[in-house]
Amino acid sequence: MATVIGKARVEEPAAAPVKAPRRKHAGIQSHYPFWFYLPAGVVYAVLFLVPTFIAFYFSLTRWGLFSQEFIGLDNFRQFFNEPGLLQGLKNSLIYGVITSALKVVLGLLLAVLLTSQIIARGWLRSVIFFPVLVSTIGVGITFTILMNPQQGLINKTLEVFGIHGPGWLTNPSLAIYSVALVDVWKGVGLATVIYIAGIVSIPRDYFEAAEMDGATAFERFRHIILPLARPATVTVIILSLIGGLRSFDLIWAMTGGGPGFSSDVIASVIYKQYQAGFYGLSTAGNVILFFAVTLIVLPIFWALNRKQVDM
Amino acid sequence: MAGVTFDAATRVYPGSDTPAVADLDLQIEDGEFLVLVGPSGCGKSTSLRMLAGLEAVDDGRILVGDRDVTHVSPKDRDIAMVFQNYALYPHMSVGDNMGFALRISGVGTDEIARRVAEAAKILDLEPYLDRRPKSLSGGQRQRVAMGRAIVRRPRVFLMDEPLSNLDAKLRVQTRTEIAALQRRLGVTTVYVTHDQVEAMTMGDRVAVLKDGVLQQAGTPRELYDRPVNAFVAGFIGSPAMNLLEFGAEDGGVRFGGATVPVERSVLAAHPRLLLGVRPEDLEVGDRGLPVEVDVVEELGADAYVYGHAVLDGGPANVVARVRGRSLPAKGALLRVAPRPGSTHLFAVGDGARLG
Repeated sequence: MATVIGKARVEEPAAAPVKAPRRKHAGIQSHYPFWFYLPAGVVYAVLFLVPTFIAFYFSLTRWGLFSQEFIGLDNFRQFFNEPGLLQGLKNSLIYGVITSALKVVLGLLLAVLLTSQIIARGWLRSVIFFPVLVSTIGVGITFTILMNPQQGLINKTLEVFGIHGPGWLTNPSLAIYSVALVDVWKGVGLATVIYIAGIVSIPRDYFEAAEMDGATAFERFRHIILPLARPATVTVIILSLIGGLRSFDLIWAMTGGGPGFSSDVIASVIYKQYQAGFYGLSTAGNVILFFAVTLIVLPIFWALNRKQVDM
Repeated sequence: MAGVTFDAATRVYPGSDTPAVADLDLQIEDGEFLVLVGPSGCGKSTSLRMLAGLEAVDDGRILVGDRDVTHVSPKDRDIAMVFQNYALYPHMSVGDNMGFALRISGVGTDEIARRVAEAAKILDLEPYLDRRPKSLSGGQRQRVAMGRAIVRRPRVFLMDEPLSNLDAKLRVQTRTEIAALQRRLGVTTVYVTHDQVEAMTMGDRVAVLKDGVLQQAGTPRELYDRPVNAFVAGFIGSPAMNLLEFGAEDGGVRFGGATVPVERSVLAAHPRLLLGVRPEDLEVGDRGLPVEVDVVEELGADAYVYGHAVLDGGPANVVARVRGRSLPAKGALLRVAPRPGSTHLFAVGDGARLG
């Protein structure tokens, strides 16, 4: 309000990151807090670091149940020459992207619905989350029956409307997409819960300010919810992408990687090698999957996190 | 521009028996700066939100100009609001924040830029238009929130404790600026605060609320000089007015050695009375109420003496203003008596003004 007081304004300094003053005895005391990390550190090391490094080692061996022989990078060479690897990689990417995208879109829409003033909101939240709690294998078997081309409830229902349903799991070009849809059905509840947490943490003032500014419900969604629920979006994308790329149990329960090898993903290719007794080879496959997931997810994580804003 | 009318406006929150705002009747003139003031939970923010359209009106009406807006959505009321926490969109620049309402309503880009620049100039925000709210100081954010309201050129401004997040020095400076800006723009403004000093210094008129009920609306001077009840008397003024309970005696009430005259009819109807006297209206002398000094607050030219006296109803706290150069010591015994014609009388039960 320069016109009011001219040059007399006493400006506050703009907010800037404040550096904590260094404590005099920081050197002596700095090791103290590290003792608190120790219990968690031990558990993490025993349950994660040690098995990971052991896996790295076994991936370099010809490994039977009772013997092992160091063979260098032979397992990796052999794994990259697997005939089904390319198809598996392609399917893993398709599966990861589809499940992740659908969970983001549906999770966000459901969360918007379940944070608005609707009847039986609490009950509906429980219903949406319920599939997350059910066993994946159970869901897989149930949907295999439901998706049966002749006897399945889905195609029977479609027939009532005069639609000839496809072979959801028997059509090679459709199988992986059918399983992905079931994965979305089962996992969208978790995405919704993450989004609900994100939306309710947006201060009410922003919605009221937007309402005063004349924003419609859609504009409030577009200009307030979407940008300010970004941390929830990042979490859902990352979690579902990692889950999708590594997915195995549902695919195995529903198609076993078939028909033929049409719904094989990297994890099912690896599993088949375990089944055949090639433990070293399949462990090499797991190491490759670990790096592949890291290589795909990490840049996305950095890119998405760069644009986040504090509320 | 337009005036605002609360016509028996009532708000009862779901699950509550008592109204948060009860039968509020208030007329705010076109271009007037009205301050709603009261303690926490008095219904001042609820009243403001009812006017904004953010809170439902359960009974009565609200008019902006001649138009009944009781059931009109906030966006169609032509009202802009400054929120307590500013509610600046953190993902938008200062310029985008200020122009958001215009963008939503389909105003052209050039016109938005022109109006934002105009408001930024008034508010001294030109260097910050491309910055995010996070990188601004509290005072700058407050001005952006003002700017967001100004660019809309609304018929009414609403401000919900907009200074409460600023430090004391900046608060004093900004309240002068807001008052000056409002007078310059001439837009009807309803301003909510719990700070009676803010209310007295900013408002053309001040409306005091308590427990959802309007106690008194008037100019700051009216409220100070003729409070309608003991609550307003105690709320307006700092330090607060002394409210001392006395038994009625022949001709008035005995204020220590002094007698404060009271009309016969009042004495007849009220065996006990609340006598109000402002600290600056108490004179230290040879006669009057004996007060033992507890604390002396030095303000330079003046000082406030906080002490206690023993009345027939029990002990009572007394505050008196004295000259800064002749201060009593702690524990000293002073005799104070009200200046003639400076006292206020209130009923003991409901606190209503008598005479």
